[in-house]
Amino acid sequence: MLKTDFLGIKLDNPVIVAAGPWNRDGNSIKASLASGAGAVVTESIVSDAIMDVRPRIAADSMGAQNIRLYSDIQIEGWEREMNIAKSDGGVVIASISGHSPSEVAYMASKMEKFGADGIELSVSNPAVESLEVVASDADTIYEMTKAVVSAVTIPVTVKLSQNTTNIAKVAKAVKAADGSGVTAINTVRGILGVDTDTAKPTLSTYGGISGEYIRPLGLASVATIAQTVDIPISGVGGISTAKHALEYMMLGASVVQIGTAFVTEGYDIIRKIVQELEIWGQDHNLKNISEIKGKALDNLKSFEEMKYEPSVSIVNGTLCTENCSKCIDLCLYGAVTRTSGKINVDRGKCTGCGLCTSICPANKLKLGW
Amino acid sequence: MNIKQIAKKAGVSVATVSRVLNHPENVAPATKERIQKIIEQEEYTPNWFAQGLNFNKTKTIGLVLPYTIGSSYMEIAGGVEEVARQKGYITFMCNMERNPQIEKEYIDHLITRKVDGIILMYSLLSDEYMAWIRDEKIPAVMIGENELRPDWDSVMVDCREGAVHMTAHLVECGHETIGILCGRTPENEIKSILQGFKNVLKASGKKLQPKQIYEVENSIEGGYIGAKKLIAEMTSEGSEKPGDQLDAIFATTDEIAYGAMDAIKDCGLSIPDDIAIAGFGNYKMSNLMEPKLTTVEEPYRLMGIYGARILFDRIEEKSEKKEPPKHIILKTKMRVRKSCGHKERIGEMF
Repeated sequence: MLKTDFLGIKLDNPVIVAAGPWNRDGNSIKASLASGAGAVVTESIVSDAIMDVRPRIAADSMGAQNIRLYSDIQIEGWEREMNIAKSDGGVVIASISGHSPSEVAYMASKMEKFGADGIELSVSNPAVESLEVVASDADTIYEMTKAVVSAVTIPVTVKLSQNTTNIAKVAKAVKAADGSGVTAINTVRGILGVDTDTAKPTLSTYGGISGEYIRPLGLASVATIAQTVDIPISGVGGISTAKHALEYMMLGASVVQIGTAFVTEGYDIIRKIVQELEIWGQDHNLKNISEIKGKALDNLKSFEEMKYEPSVSIVNGTLCTENCSKCIDLCLYGAVTRTSGKINVDRGKCTGCGLCTSICPANKLKLGW
Repeated sequence: MNIKQIAKKAGVSVATVSRVLNHPENVAPATKERIQKIIEQEEYTPNWFAQGLNFNKTKTIGLVLPYTIGSSYMEIAGGVEEVARQKGYITFMCNMERNPQIEKEYIDHLITRKVDGIILMYSLLSDEYMAWIRDEKIPAVMIGENELRPDWDSVMVDCREGAVHMTAHLVECGHETIGILCGRTPENEIKSILQGFKNVLKASGKKLQPKQIYEVENSIEGGYIGAKKLIAEMTSEGSEKPGDQLDAIFATTDEIAYGAMDAIKDCGLSIPDDIAIAGFGNYKMSNLMEPKLTTVEEPYRLMGIYGARILFDRIEEKSEKKEPPKHIILKTKMRVRKSCGHKERIGEMF
């Protein structure tokens, strides 16, 4: 039910462990594969592996910020690591990063020789590189992708960045350069916070934000690409449940990647998401998970297409047992009141904005007419 | 203890021990571990000379560098060694003192000593001599360009793009008249830098008179003298302030920039308010200058790393059908600091 063909690679399931330090060498990749993932993406391999900044990662309850996460193993060492990584089988995609087309092409051809099943070109790191993220420029992405594609015979996917005004244009450049797919999205440039006692930002420079913080951005990016370009998409950004994975797929992703949650929730999360997807698929009578791909896209509408309905908020008759008053306090139009425990909506004041229906913890409010 | 005794002790053939030493990836892990343990216990080291005879490999490469005073060359050499070391090779380093005659002599020596490959850094060799190397059938890689050699494996830096970015940055900082102090070598790179510089000035409608371009020696002294002369040339008659027609200097190496900074200060001028300055290279000292030098970073270590990588690809090439020459082109990176007179702090962050 979960078997998927992604870029011509056969996967047991569509859940992939994203690039990151949890896939820094042969043994850790082997462990990630053993977690039940359909495939694993290596930590980004660079031309010259130097790890020179400490600290590099910080996290809070919503996600994480990193400032420089690259493999500290030189390309020469990856021959050995790939042998270890693939000793029990499994699909390994090599993430590579560099500054010039010939550089990334060189590394990609090496990783193919070392047994990589695919290449993920990652030139969208929002930290360090330049104020304009490399992957924000369609022409640069075209050149880089072209160079890698012509250097290898395995599929090439390009990891895209939200730090661009038009992600669809960049995805088009990947397609034009004969890239096999795109991965969306990389971390988003951000600053996790500031210690107000010391006036010091959480990490000492701008970094890439991952986790919960970026899921809505990732979802929108995947949808945008799916509505523009006919190219397989690997959805990534803030996925920690099967529901999140389904959301990405319904907006156009063929497969999904888990990164930050792999660390915060542990290796078990992969098996859990895979199981939940399986159950969800059975409950919904799916023959294959790919049937849901892009299903929500038809329900994404332009303003013009939205039907005008004179909806207002309607209260489910019975007394409200929640004592939160959220609907009353948050109503932007002063339409909600409470009399002797009962919630009333003034149909004259209510404009049908829908805010109360999404914040009510008891699900007492819904739009209707 | 020799290889036969190791084999006897481990109860395996000599060939198996040899495989552990030369192609460990082809030996079963358990056997490999057992043999490696014995090798360690017995403190056995293979006889490289005998190995060279056996495999036609000496596990040595030659690296010919232009001269030793110059941190950038040593950084490139560091990159070469990093890869060579991981491959189990040692590197013979030869300093040619920017003299093609010495360069030739060293190459002769290296070939006689049966090195497995040669890396030439900013080579000064003639085409005839390169043809001779080709006939010797020894793998060779060029790092950095003095001349374009499309039929050799090479590692180059896109210097023109670096110069374009820096000149555009100086224009953006509001500098009207920008002079350039041009070193003499490496010839091709300097040509590209000058071309990039001229193109941006033309495109942005800035002044470009012949006296703004000044050729100097590639050294701190060269930069000092060059800047003094450039400032004198760019002073209006009767002006009390030297270099009143000059807003900024672009130097084609950081060393030239160091000398020029000294000259600007000696003229009683301040950097960047009277004359701003930018360099090329990003040598280690540039971040310690006062003010900190804005410059174009060249990926020196990476040049060495890739030079060695493509050399080993050639050395390990098995098929009779040779791959076409590989050209790795690396990018520069802007290092915006204080000497260029920019005002936006964000420019220094990335």
